[in-house]
Amino acid sequence: MAALNPVSRIRNQPAGILGGGGAVLYVLFIGLPVLALLVRAAQQSDFLDAVTSDAALTALRLSLITSVISMAVVVLLGTPFAYLLARSDRLWARLMDSLVELPLVLPPVVAGVAMLMAFGRNGLIGSELESIGLTIPFTTTAVVFAQIFVASPFFIRSAKLGFQSVGKDYEDIAQTLGVSPWRTFFRITLPLAAPAMFTGLGLAWARALSEFGATMMFAGNLTGETQTMPLAIMSAMEKSLDGALALSVMLLAGSIMGLVLLGLLTRRRWQGRS
Amino acid sequence: MTTQAVASAASGWVECRVGDFHLETTWEVSPGQVLVLFGPSGAGKSTTLRAIAGLLRPVRGHIEVGGQVVYDGDAGTWVPTHDRRLGYLTQQYNLFPHLKVAANIAFGLRDRRSDAGKDRVLELTSLFQLEGLADRYPWELSGGQQQRVALARALASKPAMLLLDEPFASLDAELRRTLRRELRAMLAQSPVPVMLVTHDREEALALGDSVQVINEGRTLVTGVPLDVLGQPGQGRVARLVGVENLFDLTVQERNPRDGTMTCVGPGLRLEVPLDSQVSETGTPGGGQDRVTVGIRASDIILSKEDLQGSSARNRLSGQVISVESRPPGYAVTLDCGQPIRCHITGAALEEMGIQPGQRLWAVFKASSCFLVDENRV
Repeated sequence: MAALNPVSRIRNQPAGILGGGGAVLYVLFIGLPVLALLVRAAQQSDFLDAVTSDAALTALRLSLITSVISMAVVVLLGTPFAYLLARSDRLWARLMDSLVELPLVLPPVVAGVAMLMAFGRNGLIGSELESIGLTIPFTTTAVVFAQIFVASPFFIRSAKLGFQSVGKDYEDIAQTLGVSPWRTFFRITLPLAAPAMFTGLGLAWARALSEFGATMMFAGNLTGETQTMPLAIMSAMEKSLDGALALSVMLLAGSIMGLVLLGLLTRRRWQGRS
Repeated sequence: MTTQAVASAASGWVECRVGDFHLETTWEVSPGQVLVLFGPSGAGKSTTLRAIAGLLRPVRGHIEVGGQVVYDGDAGTWVPTHDRRLGYLTQQYNLFPHLKVAANIAFGLRDRRSDAGKDRVLELTSLFQLEGLADRYPWELSGGQQQRVALARALASKPAMLLLDEPFASLDAELRRTLRRELRAMLAQSPVPVMLVTHDREEALALGDSVQVINEGRTLVTGVPLDVLGQPGQGRVARLVGVENLFDLTVQERNPRDGTMTCVGPGLRLEVPLDSQVSETGTPGGGQDRVTVGIRASDIILSKEDLQGSSARNRLSGQVISVESRPPGYAVTLDCGQPIRCHITGAALEEMGIQPGQRLWAVFKASSCFLVDENRV
């Protein structure tokens, strides 16, 4: 008798079938291309040569250096900004909120064109920059600019949510214990928001590494100077599929390593069981 | 600094405005004494503590903590929270979740990495029976343990004053009593002025040296807890502190010789203490004065028989209307013309076999009744 079974649950059958079907399709849809990439790369006889080729290593080095720089800028400037957004409910803060989301919905190519219009030789402040000896477009700096433009919202949004989740009560209590507001920020607020900030940083980094459109428009595709991994894959594709495959696998490996690292940094023992 | 200054009294007054809410209050607490702020939610109790802590800026006022002026509206003095040397404890323990117990306790210590700092943490962990928990995170502790850690943390850097905002409200009754005892013991050891916000009568009586009843941003009365909370003379205070039995009666006869008067109301006839205005009114034996009489539920004895020949001046017979659990005892309501509420223990309830519908006698002394002035504020 069903009544004797203490764990008998009411099953939502339609949801189970549809959900299960969806899950299978999704796994295939995402998993198959990834698998295919690996299989094709493994079949390649000169895979190792392609991975360690000068072109690949140059692009990899440039991608790493530029993304590290842009992430450093995003974290250093974005953290106080995110804190301000989290703690203020003034009108300007809400307007800022929308501005921060703009790069998320703006096509990267448009972002590239827009930056060219601002910082380019004939741009709004391009000639002023030139007069003080600063040339930005089609340089490594432009690559960093493009990455900051498209990737910063991921960090700022996540950090803002992190700061919002830190109750004002914790900061108040810390101050009653004789700790100044500045120290309170570094000893309480920042550590408590850190998991959310790492999540945001991971997403922003992934976005910076994969940045293509804005870089193409604003920085160009110069080997060793502005040609990052995604651009190198594009260029390699024009010559041979093998080179593109090798670079793609390298980026894939980087992404998976990033995911693992992210998981480690965003889970803390102090967060307990949820 | 080789000698530690003798703890000073904490005193002050503030006028605060938070939105539409307006608070005006005055306080003075000696070292080792507990001043209880008693009143309903939204009365301004917590606002007072937040003003003293510097978490809220008053409109006007003067606040002294540890012999130092930390705020003066006229002189423009403003000492920020972190320089006020306070211990502040709330109902949400607010332990820092990313720090282990030992680091939480040591948080406010300037010398927390030195041997002296570590000794202080050890001293507090043993004082609050937290041995063996030093390496746990807050989520790994029970509610009582969390509150002990919060208390230890607030006391670690020897504050000049303690502000306790319903610190034990979310704990069970048993734990509350234990923690109150510990707090008392701690106060005896290092006497500082304490202000305690509560709306628990038992807590106010157990911890308070004096009590201040606050309502709608105004202080109604300040005094000894037993007087203020036991037999409050003001109508509004009586309602705020929850006097269980309040009767509107008419004075029928004054007996100055006994110091009592007889009051009657629908179905009721009570002997109560003589009011003070006998000579003024000067109508003994025929007054029409209306009075409100209060009787605490715990001052009433229930009996199965009429206690004739006893000294108690009031013996009312009535039917049991209801029996409700009211931990740790029970509340029994009798219909003696008007409902009368009595608090008795579980043992008494069992022994007497009290059931709804049963006839019982409610017995109490004339002196257990007190007059409540509805108009005095």
